[in-house]
Amino acid sequence: MLVKLRFILWALVGVAALAGIWIALKPPAELPSTAEMPLDTIGGPFTLTGSDGQSFNSAGLNGKGTAIFFGFTHCPDVCPTTLARLSKLRKQAGGDDAFNIVFVSVDPERDTPADVGRYAELFNTPVIGLTGSVADIERVKKQFGVYSAKAPLPNGDYSVDHTSTVFLMDRNGKFVATLAPEEGEQVALEKLKRIAA
Amino acid sequence: MRRTSIAFLAFALASCGEQANPRIEISDAWARETGAGQNTGAAYATIENTGGADDELLAVTTDRATMPMLHSSESVNGVSRMRMLQSLSLPADGTVELRPGGIHIMMEGLKSPLKAGETFEVTFRFKQSGELVVPVKVEAAGAR
Ligand SMILES: [Cu+2]
Repeated sequence: MLVKLRFILWALVGVAALAGIWIALKPPAELPSTAEMPLDTIGGPFTLTGSDGQSFNSAGLNGKGTAIFFGFTHCPDVCPTTLARLSKLRKQAGGDDAFNIVFVSVDPERDTPADVGRYAELFNTPVIGLTGSVADIERVKKQFGVYSAKAPLPNGDYSVDHTSTVFLMDRNGKFVATLAPEEGEQVALEKLKRIAA
Repeated sequence: MRRTSIAFLAFALASCGEQANPRIEISDAWARETGAGQNTGAAYATIENTGGADDELLAVTTDRATMPMLHSSESVNGVSRMRMLQSLSLPADGTVELRPGGIHIMMEGLKSPLKAGETFEVTFRFKQSGELVVPVKVEAAGAR
C-alpha cells in the first residue's frame, strides 16, 4: 500500500518535471514585429516654407542626416525640451554639423515663417524651422504618419496635441529610425550616431 | 498590521494634541527662455514636503503671465498632450518634481519674453502651508 502511494507520488513528480521542461522549451508567444510596419514608406521629398519666407525643398537636407521633429512655437514644454535634447546630443554625436535638426510646425495657422525662425534660433545651434500652408503641412504630416489636433485652453487659446516622435533620416532622406522622448540618453545617442556624418 | 499601527500612532498623536504638519520646501526653480512672439512659457521646480502630513498645491500665480496654471505633459501612443491639473498632491515625506516633459507651471498668456539670466517671482499657494514666493531663474533655451 505504502509502496503504491510512493509510486504514485514519484509519478506525479515526474509529470511535473516534464511539464516544467515543456514550458521551458516551448517557443515564446509571437511578438509583434516592427519589421512588419511599412517603415520604409516614412518620409519622401517635400516642399515647405523656410523662416525666410522662401520655399524650402527637402533636397536641401541631403548630404547630411536629418532629425525631424513636428511641433508648434506656442509649445512651452515638450517641443523646446526635445529641441534642447537634440542640440545637446548632436554636440556629443559629432558637433553642430553632424546632422540637420528640422522643426516642422503643425500649427501653420499661427506659425509664420518668422515665428518658426525665431523659435529655431533660441537654441544657439543650427535648427531649420519650417512652416507652410495648411495643405502643405497636412501632406508632410501624412508622409511621416504624424498626428496633431487642437486642444482648447480655458482662456480661448489653444494648445496642439501632436506626435512627439523624432524621425531620423539618412543623408539621402531615407528613413532610419524613430526616437521617442521616453528613450534614455544612451540609446538616443547611439541612434543619432547612425545618422551623424 | 502596519496600517493599524500607523492609524494607532496617528490617533495617539492626535489625542495628545500634537499635530503633524506639512513642511514645504521648493528648490531648483527655473524656467526656459522664450522667444519674441511666444505667448506661453514653462517653469519647473522641485517641491519637497519634509513634514509629517500631506499638503496640496492649489494654485500658482505670477505677474509675468495672465493665466499661469499647473499642467502635465503626457505621452500616449507617441502623441504628447498637455492637460490642466486642478491641484497637485504633496504626500508627507515626499518629493514631487516639476520637470521638462512632465508636470510644469504653464505660463499661459506670457506678457513679455522670458530672457535667459533674469529672475522672476512665482507664488505657490498650498492648502495647508499657505503661500510661498519663490524666485525662478530663466535659463537658456538649450540648457536642459
Ligand atoms: Cu503646458
